[in-house]
Order: sequence, then structure tokens, then C-alpha cells
Amino acid sequence: MDAVEKANTERQKRWVKDQKVGEGTYAVVYRGREASTNRKVAIKKIKVGQFKDGLDMSAIREVKYLRELKHQNVIELLDVFSSKTNLNLVLEFLDSDLENIIKDRSLVFLPADIKSWMAMTFRGLEFCHRNWILHRDLKPNNLLIASDGQLKIADFGLARDFADPGYKMTCQVITRWYRPPELLFGSRYYSTAVDVWSVGCIFAELMLRTPYLAGESDMDQLKTTFRALGTPTEQDWPGHTKLPDYVPIGQFPKTPLRDLFTAASADTLNLLAQCLVYEPRKRISAKDALTHAYFFALPYPSHPSKLPKCAAQITAALPLEELDGNTLSGKTNRLKRKLSSPDDSTKTRSTVARRLDFTKPTPGS
Amino acid sequence: MANRMNWLQGKTVRKNTPGNASHSRSSSTPQIHSTSATIFGGGVKDPSGRITEYSSEDDQCPVCKSDKYLEKKLRLLVSSCYHKMCESCIDRLFTLGPAPCPICNKVLRKLAFTPQTFEDLGVEKEIAIRRRIAKSAFNKRVEDFMSLRDFNDYLEDVEDITFNLINDVEPVETEARIAAYREANAALTLLNTQREEAYIHSLRQAEEQERKERELRAEELRREEEEEREAKELGKRDIIDRLERADGSDASGVVRKAKRERAEREATRKGVAPGKGPQALLRARLAAGAATTAVKDTPHIPFQDEYYAYDDMFTMQSVYVDRASEAVRKDREGIMRAGGYWVEEAWERAVRSAVAGT
Repeated sequence: MDAVEKANTERQKRWVKDQKVGEGTYAVVYRGREASTNRKVAIKKIKVGQFKDGLDMSAIREVKYLRELKHQNVIELLDVFSSKTNLNLVLEFLDSDLENIIKDRSLVFLPADIKSWMAMTFRGLEFCHRNWILHRDLKPNNLLIASDGQLKIADFGLARDFADPGYKMTCQVITRWYRPPELLFGSRYYSTAVDVWSVGCIFAELMLRTPYLAGESDMDQLKTTFRALGTPTEQDWPGHTKLPDYVPIGQFPKTPLRDLFTAASADTLNLLAQCLVYEPRKRISAKDALTHAYFFALPYPSHPSKLPKCAAQITAALPLEELDGNTLSGKTNRLKRKLSSPDDSTKTRSTVARRLDFTKPTPGS
Repeated sequence: MANRMNWLQGKTVRKNTPGNASHSRSSSTPQIHSTSATIFGGGVKDPSGRITEYSSEDDQCPVCKSDKYLEKKLRLLVSSCYHKMCESCIDRLFTLGPAPCPICNKVLRKLAFTPQTFEDLGVEKEIAIRRRIAKSAFNKRVEDFMSLRDFNDYLEDVEDITFNLINDVEPVETEARIAAYREANAALTLLNTQREEAYIHSLRQAEEQERKERELRAEELRREEEEEREAKELGKRDIIDRLERADGSDASGVVRKAKRERAEREATRKGVAPGKGPQALLRARLAAGAATTAVKDTPHIPFQDEYYAYDDMFTMQSVYVDRASEAVRKDREGIMRAGGYWVEEAWERAVRSAVAGT
């Protein structure tokens, strides 16, 4: 037995796998615990054998990026080990997600609660962005809620690093309802603004308690977006007509957000509007959002422990979607498949071969 | 290669035309499958609207020359030599045993006539041949070969044989080849047939399972509705009973009380705490917030670490000598800008990494 194998067995012994809590297309999730401390964890076993060309893309991405990120508002990858032919990711155990909370009609949100969730989301996102990582699949069911109320960003299956000059990225990312117009128009060069748009949609959803821009197809998504926020003019968004998949959608008038969000304060609407600016470079950054007046105004954001929680905690804890996104019927599946576009797949694979050394994670400074 | 394999097994493969490359968009719009059948109408259709037997108003029997106009019930069947004739001709010619085809003189039997599925008999023939080839002998899979190359050669051979059969090139030699192959690979063929059957069986089972689950859900829903209806009925009767007993002293009060009780019952049935409308829930939430004074809400702190403390340790220049990003920076049409891309981010990343030492 060589040293690597020995280290691996040691790691494996550290964790105990309990019952299975769910299964997705590329992973099985088990509830587990740390052998020495009995701390609850989730163990995600990645099925390796079935993919002809090695590991599933999203598994690679998840390991690659989560090993670098350690933050209060980002799900923590505790360990990675292999058993037989499988790869196992040991993740923090979280019992609920924001989608469940939004859908639970017996819960009432105070403005302070929404502020608290938004602050935690932006903190997590700012941390990803400062480490040059785009999440690219933000939506309520990827925002997990820990038992102490902390919100954590999860599912890095579509994440990638950005800010390298001139690499094309795929525009087939982000669940449709949370996808910004520049991606719907097929832009291959984009940046952090895509995640901020998603957060804007989540912000609106927290207030409305129903998805804000729910399009039925990519085309309809653009129409829905423009109907809600007005069709962008060349002045609002210079150059958007030159984007690869640009199609004229029709003219919709701009309606003030106030008409829909009747109970929101001026600060709230200002931040929401800044998250949903058409021109990506004018959209607020996660860093600027954190210093926005909304977060400093009264009421103070609720303390995480006081945030509303689902009374009946979901039995299939660690719902599958958040862990692999693949379970969401066919939609996301198609997304993932699309992802293996040549533009970045080869690149990621070669990098990971180097990174998968199973040493202690070095938190991105 | 995969395409060819599907073809062999008689499945249809729709090829992507070049204009259809951006599939993500086109897939959302419904595609119209226009076949000759949808254009020319005719034929027997199964419940799903698929044509199972082709026929047309212009059908005419080549033997007796009768047509749809003269004979309303005219039905043409296809012989094993792919010639059409009407049922009455078939009866007339072949009832007394095998007889030569009136068109090509091949000896035919009455039972070997089949209904026509496709308008083009060439297609009919090709499909029959391909089905026969794929089902009876040539059903090897890619796993059965040492290398992809071997598999491709094999597919090439199969295609040759199929071509010969379709176009009647060297029919005797080809048949001999098939027979020889079948003899040599009998075991494997059988195994592959079994594999295929097992696969189909598993598909069917999954379908069945799904159907059962669906039924179960529908049943559940129906039961719930029934219950609700019953509860409503009961409530109404209850109000009437009470009104009778109350002797009309305070009718509206009785009705109100009964209604409130009913709402409570309904709420408990639905699993919501009784007597809690949205307003009540909000009040409870506010009270709970005030009660837990142990944890105070604290003002927002934007950044909880020292990351941006580095910011005064460097200044970004407005432009750098950077060959890698030259093409991107040109961006005459403003596409990068419209998509939200900044070259400056790449530079900032490099500078920050250098300063922070990550």
C-alpha cells in the first residue's frame, strides 16, 4: 500500500456513512457523521464508472472550487476521499433551503428577515467573486439554511473561474428564471454581473413569495423580463443588439417597481433596481451591494437564529436539487449536457488533475 | 457511428441540418414533422394519429385496374416481391396455392401479402430488409469488439449486405454470406437478442411503475376532495340543526359561531395551526421576535475580514501591456462590453494575486 492509498484510507475512516437520503443522476447522497465527534455531515458519492470520459463535469467543478472557498456563507467541503471506484465528497450538513422556506405558507417574512438573507447571500457571493469564481446557478434552492439560520451558497456544479482574458464561456448556464438577459442573448463574454442578476431575482422572490420572472422558454423568459422591466433601449444597454443571439422581442413600457412591490421601502427598491439593471457593467457588484444604504437602514437585519424556519424539517434532508441540480426534471439536465462544450471542458479537466491532491484545503485568502 | 447503429435497428434518426445548429433555441419551438402522409392525407391511423396502413384516393390495382372510384373498399396489399395488388385479385390468383406474380413471375403465396405502411415501396422494402438483418443476425454491439475500428468495419460489412439485398445485387452470394455469418455467430446473436429484450422489459417496467404512481396520486387527490366536500356538507347541516335548536333568538350569532368552528376544523385538517390567518401569523411572528430578547439584531457589517485592507497597497493603471488580451480589447462592436466583460478584471486579478501572495 503506497502513501497515497494509506492517506486515503485514513480519510475514509474519519467519516461514517449512515442512511441514504437521495439520489441524483450523478451522485448519491448519504447522511453521515464524523466518527470521532459525531458531527453531522452529508456524504455525496459520485458515480464514476458510468461516464465514458472520466468524472462528471459538475463533480469536477464542485471539488475544484469548493476546496478553495471557506466562508460562513458558502457550503463547506470538509473532505474528499475515494472508496473503491467512487469519489466521495464530505459536505456540511444543512437541513433546509430557501426555496422550502419561501414556499412554506405558514411562515411570515419581516422586512428584517429578507434583509438578513440578502446580506448573507451577498456576503457569500462577494466571497466567491473576490476569489474570481462565478457561481452561475444561484436560485433559492441552492441557498441552503443551516440549523443556526446561516444561509450558505451551495451547488458549485456550474461554477467556473473568470477574469482570464478572452476565453469564451458558455451562455447555457443559470436556471432560466434567474438567467440575466445578456446570457439569454447569447453573450460568451460576461462577468460577475450574471450572479448579481440572479440575486436580484431571488430578492424579488423573497418579497413576492413567488418566482419573479418565470418564463416558460428562453424566448418567453426575455419577454417576461422585458414585460416586467421594460424593453431596454440602446441608451439603457449599449451594444446589446450586437450580441450573438439578439432578436427584437417587442416594445414593452417601463413600469416602476413600486407598482408591484407596494410595501417595500425606497432603499429596498433602489437596491433591487440596481441588481436588475440591463447593462451588466452598470449592475451593482456584490461588494458595492454590501455597502448599500438598504443594509444600514432600520430595521437591522434579523439575527440568523431568529429567522423563520420550516416547522417540519424536510425528512429527505439535504434535498437533492441543491446538491446536483440534475434532479430538477429535464431542464437542468439539458443545461449540464450543454456544458460539456469544448470551450472550457478541456481546460478544467487538466487543471483538476493537478488539484485533486487531497491535501488540506487552502482557503482562498 | 451511433447514428448508423440506430438506423440498423430500425429506429428513425433525425439529422441536424446545419441551419438547425443552435438547438437550444429551436428545441423550444414546436417542430412540424411533415411527411407525405400528412400532406396527402389517407390511410389507417392508430389512436396516437400515426399512420399504420397507407392508402390513397388514387390507388389503383395494377392487375385488374379497378380503383377507389369503382370499388369503394379497394385495399391494396404488398407482395414479398414488392408489387401491389388488390385483395380480390389476391383471392382470385392465390387461393389455389402458390402462383407466379402477374408482374414479375416470382412464385408467391397468399399469406405472404402484407399491408402497406409507407407510400414509397422502396422504403417499405428497405425497412423490411433492415429489420430482418438487425433482428435475425447482425445485432452485435460495440462492446463485442476489440476496437472501434473493428466495430466500424463490421458496420461497413452489414451496410454492404443490406445494400446488396435492397438493390438485388448478387442475391445468392449475399444470402450465403448471411447464412455463414449466422452460423458462426449463433450464440452471440442469441445473447444480444436477449439483452435487447431485457432492456425493453426494463423500460416497460419503469413505465408501468410510473403509471401506478400517477394513479395513486390521482386517487389521493380524489379522496381529499371528497373529504372536503363531505366536511362542507356536514357544516351546512350543522348550522341548520343549530338554528332549529336556537329557536331564532340570535340567528346570526349562531351562524357566525358555527362558521368559525368550521374554519378551525378545516385549518386543523390542512395542518395549519387553528385560528391563524395571515394577520394572526404575522402577530405571532412579531411577538416571538420581541420575546427572544436574548439575541439582539445587530447592525450590518459589510465585510467581516481584512481582505480589502490590501487595497491601498497598489494602484491599478488604466492600461497594461498585455498581448493575451489584445484581441479582446479591440472589441469594436462593443460585444464584450454589452455582455459585461471587463479586461480590467483580468489585470486586477493578476495584481491582487501578486500583492496578496495567493
